[in-house]
Amino acid sequence: MSDGNVNTKEQVVDSIKAMKDGPRAMRMYMEMCVKCGTCASVCPVYYGKSEKRYNPAERTDLIRRIYRKYNTVSGRVFGKAAGAEDFDPGDLEDWQAIFYECTGCRRCAMFCPFGIDHSVITRKGRAILDKVGMTPETMAKVVQVSLETGNTDGAGEAAFRAAIDFLEEEMKDEHGVDIKIPIDAKGAEYFYVPPSGDVLVNPEATMGVAKVFHALGMADSWTMSSKCFDGANYGLFTGNDGDMKADNKLYVDEAKELGTKTMLMGECGHAYRIMKMMMEKTSWWGELPFEIINCMEWTADHIRAGRLQFDKSRNTHPVTYHDPCNFGRSCGITEEPRVILEASCSDFREMHPNRGENWCCGGGGGLSAMDDIIDFRMEISGKKKLEQIRETGAKYVSTACSNCKRHLTQLLEHHQEQVEVGGVHDMLSRAILLNGKAAERDDYL
Amino acid sequence: MDFLTLFVGGALPYIAIVVFILAMAYRLYTWKRLAAPSMTLFPAPADESANKKNVLKEAVLFRSLFGGDRVLWGFAWVFHVVLILIFLGHLRVFTNVDSMLMASGMSDESIKAMSAGVGGAAGVVILIATLLLLARRLALPRVREITGPADYLALLLIGAIIITGNMMRFGAEHFDLALTRDYFAGLATISSVTAEPALQNGTFVLHMGLAFLLIMCIPFSKILHFGGIFFTHQLIRKQ
Repeated sequence: MSDGNVNTKEQVVDSIKAMKDGPRAMRMYMEMCVKCGTCASVCPVYYGKSEKRYNPAERTDLIRRIYRKYNTVSGRVFGKAAGAEDFDPGDLEDWQAIFYECTGCRRCAMFCPFGIDHSVITRKGRAILDKVGMTPETMAKVVQVSLETGNTDGAGEAAFRAAIDFLEEEMKDEHGVDIKIPIDAKGAEYFYVPPSGDVLVNPEATMGVAKVFHALGMADSWTMSSKCFDGANYGLFTGNDGDMKADNKLYVDEAKELGTKTMLMGECGHAYRIMKMMMEKTSWWGELPFEIINCMEWTADHIRAGRLQFDKSRNTHPVTYHDPCNFGRSCGITEEPRVILEASCSDFREMHPNRGENWCCGGGGGLSAMDDIIDFRMEISGKKKLEQIRETGAKYVSTACSNCKRHLTQLLEHHQEQVEVGGVHDMLSRAILLNGKAAERDDYL
Repeated sequence: MDFLTLFVGGALPYIAIVVFILAMAYRLYTWKRLAAPSMTLFPAPADESANKKNVLKEAVLFRSLFGGDRVLWGFAWVFHVVLILIFLGHLRVFTNVDSMLMASGMSDESIKAMSAGVGGAAGVVILIATLLLLARRLALPRVREITGPADYLALLLIGAIIITGNMMRFGAEHFDLALTRDYFAGLATISSVTAEPALQNGTFVLHMGLAFLLIMCIPFSKILHFGGIFFTHQLIRKQ
């Protein structure tokens, strides 16, 4: 064994030993599994291919075996008979593949008789890989680009401004009136933080949000930032808390700088989860001078209050909604997108199961960005979702997450389905009435 | 009397109870002590009291498992409910349940009939449930591939306890309630039990030895889930 290996082994073993010091979930998940196999029967990856390496309990056991070896009496005394094994640095390459074959969707936690959330251990496995410099290249690059440029696409301010100009022109064409997207407006009440995909790749959602502000006569009360236009934060996916917090701090600082009262998160599940369920809840940066809500909650509230009108005949094709795991299971945002879609589409159909029990698209946990495992995503992790979508007969899959959108677009193309993929405010953008008129355009589908 | 019988009859019960209590207390202490940041999974109970209610629902009805694997839910729920019944039945050996039952109007005969009927049925049902759990573990690849020696050992140990228990009810070496009570009264008062006639019954000694071995193993094995379930569900459902 080379010195490098000795060092690597020490780092990995130390990380695993430290799991006994918490958090509580980490330690209990190491001590509690009864190996009943329920996680495997509800896991999208195991559904796609029922092999041992895809079994959630087995993936978690990769770490659990070493934990037992170093941290438990039974493991120290009985060794392999008690499921304890030493760490072999030669296994790290397998770990790199296997910990990036879990989509972190938390569906296992939903049905486990003990509520064991394997995504927590997946993230721990990734954190260990990150520590020894073995984060897959594609993922490491996204994190690096995001920390350097403030967005995961590596777009500069000029590209952002050009994209916004383009969106304003499009909206002018659609409605014949000027619909503004304010940039860097200090003192604006709302600071809209979308995923950069909703500006650069599928920008209809951002147009939808702009139209809602316009329709409410609040065009001057919101802003975007030319520096911070991407809530995506891949530190969640690589397991590196330092990176996650550094990326997050840019946005919190910008919100303070703008003097915003409300951070209006866009259609990006993990971005909202980090802001709302992690940063705000566990007070990463102390007291916040603003509140955090999601744009779907905001729009749904205005729809419920009858402040927005729609022409549903603009969206007559069958539309279904895919619950992004980070919005549904991890943030409890399930009704709001449905309120928006029911208001703006004439044929909205549920897929089954849905809401908290919905299946992952197959690209969760950052896997969507990894084209080096595209075969796995198309044939294994996405298999169940493809079946679910086919059963609805929908021609448009709406989902509030750039990662889901990217993965689903690839999935449906790969399997030659004539189904479009887009956001939630996208449907709204096509049907919302401004001065009594919906957008005039017929080249959507 | 051979050494093993002396050890099982005179020392193991004390050792097992002390180990169980200390190790379980240590577990609970370490769990309680560790930070538990919220990692809410929705739909989640609205507040802490609803969360506690949800934990009870999980512990009593296995709510999550019901949605995840209905067949396993059936096997597991029957197994655990009958296990509790059997535990309650065993209280007759250690405490004066009979006088309480008689005070509530039951006759000595009806208590004996209940013990034989319900107790006998429970012994059969739990044996079937255990065999079904084992068969499932062997038959389903998703369960078999994650099963290790410890998982089989736990089932075998439980199976052996059930079988020896049933042997004392249905077999030749039928156990004697009065003698067994005398023996446990001796243990409870920390007096010498080596001369107790109950220990002449080999099946009883084996049954009791395995049972105390199981109790001692709980804090160090997967059977820990019996305490852990009250914590782990709260972790993911806390708002």
